[in-house]
Amino acid sequence: MSVQWSLVLFTAIAGTGAWMFACTGIAELKGLGKKTAVPTTIVALILAIAGGFASLSHLSHPERVFGALGHPTSGIFMEAVLLGLIVLCAIIYLILVKRDAAKSARKLFGVLGIILAVVFTFACGMSYEMSSRAVWNTFTLPFAYLGTAMVSGCAGYLLMTGICKDDIASIETAGNETLLGGIVSVLTAFIYGCVSGAAGGSVAALFWIVVIGCGGIAPIVFGKIAGNNTAKATAYGVIALAGALVGAIAFRAIMWMIGTTVINVFGTVL
Amino acid sequence: MTKHNCIVVNLDKCLGCFGCEVACKMENDVALGEHWNKVLLRGPFGDYPNQVRYPLPAMCQQCADAPCVHVCPTGASYRDPDTNIVLINKEICIGCKYCMMACPYGVRDWNVATKTVEKCTLCGQLTARGELPACVKSCAGGARFYGDLDDPTSDVSVELAKYAATDIHTLPNVGNNPSTKYIMTSIHGEWKESE
Repeated sequence: MSVQWSLVLFTAIAGTGAWMFACTGIAELKGLGKKTAVPTTIVALILAIAGGFASLSHLSHPERVFGALGHPTSGIFMEAVLLGLIVLCAIIYLILVKRDAAKSARKLFGVLGIILAVVFTFACGMSYEMSSRAVWNTFTLPFAYLGTAMVSGCAGYLLMTGICKDDIASIETAGNETLLGGIVSVLTAFIYGCVSGAAGGSVAALFWIVVIGCGGIAPIVFGKIAGNNTAKATAYGVIALAGALVGAIAFRAIMWMIGTTVINVFGTVL
Repeated sequence: MTKHNCIVVNLDKCLGCFGCEVACKMENDVALGEHWNKVLLRGPFGDYPNQVRYPLPAMCQQCADAPCVHVCPTGASYRDPDTNIVLINKEICIGCKYCMMACPYGVRDWNVATKTVEKCTLCGQLTARGELPACVKSCAGGARFYGDLDDPTSDVSVELAKYAATDIHTLPNVGNNPSTKYIMTSIHGEWKESE
């Protein structure tokens, strides 16, 4: 199967945005990341919307997309609604921060951001669970979608704390989150790789070097270093984010490369 | 009463002449390189001299639990409430190809001109006026049958009734329950699609 790059970029970019906003929510709960909150939320919004446009570019008739609202059970509907809720939450959170609203209200939207990031990135993977494609039809796939998006968002947040020159505690927390995200990414991608056969087949090199190495190990290492050496958080954040994003994109590309139907009668290549 | 219309192919009678494929293209104006119905040549299976090969004409299998209908975000892929036939409303298809991903058999094709998904409609334009689908009408070997599986007097039911259950096959079922049936007896060969 050919790689559907629009869909690959959609889940990778929008997932990164969702988890960057989730990290802002975690910082809000901990009373950290005051300098980072607004810029990160704006970047998260941009990424979520850019991801949405990437998804639209996959359609041959995007002008008819609102017809999807009439079918609330499809995976595409779920993804669209969840992404819309993330955008809405982020906008409300921005307004609350700008107006210096009550902490309880900001925390509420922070918590919502965390929940939505988990559900959205999981749902993106769940949409591909279909009996026609044996290597996709496993519950480990949505977890891997969640894990690889989580590490990208955490690394993105780490980068933002460095760029915004936030306080040491905020950068340390962001570094630890990136480390944790990297561990989750490695674990979930590894389990999917074993179940689907990606870890040992023709795409094994891409899987181990790019998905596990760049997408998981690099953020673990540079998240840990950034937590200990907060002065260079920007540089380490760039490396962690680049690795995580490349890993997340490679993971999704691999999913398309190994996804074959039971029988492909017409020999159609998507 | 709701019908359960589908195609039955008797492979013991199939010549492998590709007539059904050509008739489908002619009737439905299917563009070059695109298909609604295609004849695959399967095999040879086994070792010489005990080798088997057979033609396998395949089109939309009219699954009872059609995954294409479940995943369609706009309802463009739908099941006709009267005939139970799975159809596509191309006017509301957004071209996401989700149904093509969900089809276990790859029997949905992409219409380059309209930028929408297409597939076998069981020639609704013909059956609505009492005719047979083009592939059934033109089958040189008389191997294709069309009708209501729930009607014991229909062509499909009458043909299926001639054979033992072990001679009646479907393409691999991964929970979608394909309605299309293939008849092949052990005299002709061994059904290999379930492997």
